Amino acid sequence: MSANLSNRIFRPYTGEKARIARAYDYLVLVLALFLFIGSFHLHFALTVGDWDFWVDWKDRQWWPAVTPLMGITFPAAVQAVLWTNFRLPLGATLCVACLSIGTWIARIFAYHMWNYFPINMVLPSTLLPSALVLDAVLMMSNSLTVTAIFGGSAFALLFYPSNWPIFGMFHVPVEAGNSQMTVADMFGFQYIRTGMPEYLRIIERGTLRTYGQVAAPLSAFFSALLSTLMYALWWFIGKWFATTRYLKRI
Amino acid sequence: MATITDQIKVMSDQRPMPPWYLKDLYRYLSAFGILTAIYMGFRIYQGAYGVSTGLDSTEPAFEVYWMRLFKFNVTFVTLFAGVSWGWLWFTRDKNLDKLEPKEEIRRYLTLTMWISVYTFAVYWAGSYFAEQDNSWHQVAIRDTPFTANHIIEFYFNFPMYIILGGCAWLYARTRLPLYAKGISLPLTLAVVGPFMILVSVGFNEWGHTFWFREEFFAAPIHWGFVIGVWFALGVGGILLQGVTRLIELLDGLEEAA
Repeated sequence: MSANLSNRIFRPYTGEKARIARAYDYLVLVLALFLFIGSFHLHFALTVGDWDFWVDWKDRQWWPAVTPLMGITFPAAVQAVLWTNFRLPLGATLCVACLSIGTWIARIFAYHMWNYFPINMVLPSTLLPSALVLDAVLMMSNSLTVTAIFGGSAFALLFYPSNWPIFGMFHVPVEAGNSQMTVADMFGFQYIRTGMPEYLRIIERGTLRTYGQVAAPLSAFFSALLSTLMYALWWFIGKWFATTRYLKRI
Repeated sequence: MATITDQIKVMSDQRPMPPWYLKDLYRYLSAFGILTAIYMGFRIYQGAYGVSTGLDSTEPAFEVYWMRLFKFNVTFVTLFAGVSWGWLWFTRDKNLDKLEPKEEIRRYLTLTMWISVYTFAVYWAGSYFAEQDNSWHQVAIRDTPFTANHIIEFYFNFPMYIILGGCAWLYARTRLPLYAKGISLPLTLAVVGPFMILVSVGFNEWGHTFWFREEFFAAPIHWGFVIGVWFALGVGGILLQGVTRLIELLDGLEEAA
């Protein structure tokens, strides 16, 4: 059976047929909501992981590089299905909105209400502005190449500035125990994590600190390069998974 | 004023019933309700007994509050798998060649409900309890593979979504002609791939035997879970298969008001 929907000519359904189609739409919406909260969140938690969990991991070197790189994966794969077949320009926003719902629920009910971490210590970052721009670029360009280059770059470059209003206040310097550190560092030292000792904290390694204020933009541009490539890769992964083949045996 | 028999008939006729294509709507909503009650019940149990009895696996109370729950979970999911898969198989449609288009449409919507319930279980396993696992292992020393969150996450949540995914696969295979004639690759990927997440528990626990107390979520020993969940993207192919067939069926259906 061919599933090439883009070559078909559609007539709008009326009456009962329209109601059936609408009922199917709603069922798919519920399905998609839980699918992407569950699957994208698991992917994100186990790849970006601690850079998104903890405020003291949100540095200028790794956090702006890793988060968009791993965050553009599912959006690209879902765009490949929803835009190509249904002309729905919302694949990225759908994924990222689902991710936000999942992370917020976990941070409040697991981290904060069960294990008593302050909610400010475990605030999730947001990719929503990045996702909106990615969807808009695909909708306006209708081009994988343009979206990978400009949308993928924008997805990464927008990440740091769109999160700065949320996390900037935790990066002000404080002096404690004769050392200068940030408020975010203080959270990490005050609320002991048995599974995440200080030697595991992967932030600002090497001599990147010597670049001062350009460290974060530099990481963002590096992430833009990688996100461009990652977008194209995951577009094809999404298309591959959305196969309509039936097999004789497995 | 007395109610007479004719009025009772009229009253029962007026009871809101879903249309024919949503015949299983109430079962679908009930499944969401039951699963929500179970998962929220687990979370309330963890809140009540996690800190008081779940921090040290050598304590007698751990055996009572957590290892008994582990044994219950394993027994329950084994029985549930047998009953649900057995029921779907033994009540299969043996006359799929004579299936009416309207009934086939209804079954496509019911299949979507099955997959939806499957993804709801994926939500609890892949999102909430997965991230909660990290938060728990930041406050509890990992002195056993059966921690207070693992017992629920690995030995109830993971098997439960696998069973429900298997139910969706079996429903399609036994009740829809296209899925009976051939094995749907995307549906199989979407069910078998996440099943591999359960298998990755072995790799995860083996890895943690080297790192007694560390819980670094982005570490490579967790990537087996990641690759497994990518296969959930097969749902895109299921959607395309379903939409294409539904359009064919709806186009052939008589117009009704």
